[in-house]
Amino acid sequence: MQNILNRHFKFPLLNLILILVVTFIFMKVMKSNTRMETDLDKYMPQNHPAFIFSDKAEKMFNIKDGIIIAIENSDGIYNHGTLSKIKEITRKLEKMPEIEKNDITSLYTADNIIGTEDGMDVKAFYKKTPTSAEELSILQQNVHNNDMVFGRIVSEDETVSVIVANIEDDVFSQQFYQNILKMAKSYEGPEKLYVAGTPIVEGTMAYLGPRDMKKMVPIVILVITVILLFVLRSLKNTFFTLQVVLFSVIWAFGLMATLGIPIYAVSTMIPVMLIAIGVADGVHLYSHLDLYLLENPGASKREAVADMLKGMWKPVMMTSVTTAVGFISLLTSEVYPIKYFGLFTAFGVMAAMFFSLFLIPSGILAFGLPKRKASIQMKRSNEDQLSHRFAGTIVKYKYLTPIMTAVIIVVSLWGMNKVWINSSFLEKFEKDSDIVLTDKFINEHFGGTSMLNVIFEAAEPDKFKQPEILKAVSRLQNDVENLPLVGNSFSLTDYLKRMNMVMHANDEAYDIIPDSKELVAQYLLLYEMSGDPENLWKVVDYNYTNANLTFQIKSDNSKVIKDVIARIESHRPELEALNVKINFAGSGYKALVFTDLILEGQIKSLLMSLGIIIVLLSLMFKKMSVGLIGSVPIILTTLISFGIMGLLNIPLSTTTALLSSIAVGIGIDYAIHFIERYRIYALETGDKQATIRQTMHHTGRAIVFNASVVIAGFLVLLFSVFPPNRTLGALVSLNMFTSLVGTVTIMFLLLYKTNIYFRNKKGL
Amino acid sequence: MIRKIQVVILATLIVLPVLSFAMDKISGLQIIENVYNRQTGNDQQADLTMSLINSRGDERVRTIRQFTKDFGAMEKKIMFFKTPADVRNTSFMNWSYDDENKDDDQWIYLPALKKIKRISSDSKSDYFMGSDFTYDDLGDRHPSQDTHKLIGEEMINGENCYVVESISKDEDYMYSKTVIWIIKDKWIGLKKDFYDEDEDLLKTLTVKKFEQISGYWTILSTEMHNVQKNHTTRMQLENVKIDTGIADNQFTERMMRRGL
Repeated sequence: MQNILNRHFKFPLLNLILILVVTFIFMKVMKSNTRMETDLDKYMPQNHPAFIFSDKAEKMFNIKDGIIIAIENSDGIYNHGTLSKIKEITRKLEKMPEIEKNDITSLYTADNIIGTEDGMDVKAFYKKTPTSAEELSILQQNVHNNDMVFGRIVSEDETVSVIVANIEDDVFSQQFYQNILKMAKSYEGPEKLYVAGTPIVEGTMAYLGPRDMKKMVPIVILVITVILLFVLRSLKNTFFTLQVVLFSVIWAFGLMATLGIPIYAVSTMIPVMLIAIGVADGVHLYSHLDLYLLENPGASKREAVADMLKGMWKPVMMTSVTTAVGFISLLTSEVYPIKYFGLFTAFGVMAAMFFSLFLIPSGILAFGLPKRKASIQMKRSNEDQLSHRFAGTIVKYKYLTPIMTAVIIVVSLWGMNKVWINSSFLEKFEKDSDIVLTDKFINEHFGGTSMLNVIFEAAEPDKFKQPEILKAVSRLQNDVENLPLVGNSFSLTDYLKRMNMVMHANDEAYDIIPDSKELVAQYLLLYEMSGDPENLWKVVDYNYTNANLTFQIKSDNSKVIKDVIARIESHRPELEALNVKINFAGSGYKALVFTDLILEGQIKSLLMSLGIIIVLLSLMFKKMSVGLIGSVPIILTTLISFGIMGLLNIPLSTTTALLSSIAVGIGIDYAIHFIERYRIYALETGDKQATIRQTMHHTGRAIVFNASVVIAGFLVLLFSVFPPNRTLGALVSLNMFTSLVGTVTIMFLLLYKTNIYFRNKKGL
Repeated sequence: MIRKIQVVILATLIVLPVLSFAMDKISGLQIIENVYNRQTGNDQQADLTMSLINSRGDERVRTIRQFTKDFGAMEKKIMFFKTPADVRNTSFMNWSYDDENKDDDQWIYLPALKKIKRISSDSKSDYFMGSDFTYDDLGDRHPSQDTHKLIGEEMINGENCYVVESISKDEDYMYSKTVIWIIKDKWIGLKKDFYDEDEDLLKTLTVKKFEQISGYWTILSTEMHNVQKNHTTRMQLENVKIDTGIADNQFTERMMRRGL
């Protein structure tokens, strides 16, 4: 150790400068090479069968997410002014370069299939905006009589109408959204206009989350700085502890930029993780230094640093390696952004270790030891008393801790049962935000803003002209529409039923699928002759081999979507008997699969990292039992974290799932520091009481400092305007707290009771 | 001296094309009128094969037997589907009128329903049977509806063509302009570009085959390619017979029901 110190810390200032230079280079690269990935499709594993299928189906049937503009006139929409506005907005959207003309649906573009005395008409509802009362009332009647429009494009109370513009996934930008909002607003009065839809919800979320994070992280750092100042009682120490954290973040993002890997939404969690983890090393190092100086008031800075490194290099290294392993295990995920998240956080953790072992000692050597006030002496003994009494209490009431732990485990397990997964984007927004309110408004008046596509595949052409298959699809539609949050459904059957009725003089008895395959084929030919066949290719493919059924759902909540899917699945046997396969497609479905994938990967990597960490701990401390005891706080933290989420009805999402990594990363640090100190004192003193007293005093104190710094920092996130970031702040704080408590109570008690590090002595 | 020669050459180059047009004395309007007035016979019967090809290369083929007859102020047409089998004997009748203000009359007979229904289509901008042709593209547009301008001459497939640009007098017309290449001595359009409301190229019509049948230049094979949707329609005529004297009563509801 002395060798290393001499070799590497001969010129401490040079160390600092070297680190600064590399950091500066990374910052330069970041500036020129950092790219944010906003296209959500890029996050999905492209070769997963569900995504391959959905992408194929989306192309085949031109399935795109729609931006919905709703126009409300409380006196009804059937007046010249409102109808003109619908027409003008439609025309303006058609001219936008981001939107393809055929992808706009409104009362102005819709086809009206109507029965006449001697035939059938497919007409626009209006071309020139009607003015006279008579024309207006005819239009009103036409809409009312057409199921394909009434309740879908015009609300049933006739006060709201929607204009839907379907756009490609990569088209949405905040600029585009603002343009549409501005355009919509310009038509206000007396009408009210609303803008909603999946692209807006997704796009705004992808933009709001990181933006809010950008705003909050500096405040988090500020609060941490203040608390560090308070805890470390030194400007210098605080400065270097912060440098460790900040530099590790810069190195992580710098490496990312150097390798040309874009920043994904999850990557914005990397600073959060590194702040929570990186502070620990500094706190423990300086805490050790403090205690050493307390016991050796006359020591030189070189002696002090030597002792600090001698006592701490091992736990700092061990904690960093185990934490990094926890993150590396995320490489097993199928989702690339998560893999990168794991990889670069692990790199950041290792960088933080490097800085802790080089930057902090170099800092002390270059700028001197922290100055101390005399009054500290007094406080120290108070702390000593406190920690001693605490350890005594734990040991004295030896049943209390295990019982409490058991109760907590049971409650957590019960809570975990209630944990549910939610891929909803909408529920990430404030309940009273414009986005949520608009969505609610549109859902109240129409079928629903969330879409689920069911894709039917038959092996041969013309299958979707067969009445028995069409009838099975129609039955499925009727059955699923009975679910409370399912608004509408739309498929080829709706065209056929409408035409059958119209061709039978609007007799409602014929609002059914005809019995003859020839008649179906002839209706379809008729539709092609008189309507806009482009519309047909959204529900069936060119050769009538595959068909697309769209459900409109009033929520994008995963539970709701899963219920709908389950109901659809119950029709699978019936359709498979007809040689028709069922699959799902669309952005909502992809989000659902994606979230499941992330969680599945997360649970896999969590179990894996737990296993690896137990092995590593066992190897490091050369005892299997220590490995097991050391893992207790992590397991508890994870259990409680999931338990609380279940109890408080916080759903698992991509953000909250990743938090289990932090539980492992931090929980293990506390355990390692504690066990290492315990071992050293045990060997030094051979006295169990002295060992627990000194360990509590030394490490217990550092852990409490560490936890309070990070908890205070992350509680700041509770003031975030973006709800997922609030959840994040609360859960990180909670994890820190449970890790702390778990370490100094149940783990401490286990160490004490198992007599590890004392058994051999007794044997002697 | 050399300067002077240069000036003369330059002047000639500028003036000559203008002069040559002036000498030809043919205007865009005249060219289009010549095409409009080209004799095509009084009646025609043929087998039509219509192939629709979408952007993914899927193809659907329909075969139709069709009869057309000119009745002076109106033209009547009747079509019978031969394939696909599930629409066999579905028939379609169309009467179109020279009077621009009068919409076409259309009937369809669905054999599975055993009923004739009148259908009415909103406008001439509707696509014909899911093809890339609108009713307007298929019909004869009267030259007076557009402003025509001769914009050049070009050789296409070894044919000397006039290039004429036509812009509708009606502002709401579906095309902002069309450009047509017309074979000089035959008055047959060989190629036509259609531009959408935003003045972007929308479709290109190419004539693949034309022959003289019973003394009339007759277009036998065309291809319409919608470049924006990447959708193509091919129409091929076979067994074309002209002026066979189709009876007037061929174009009735009774004949629609009878089928082929």
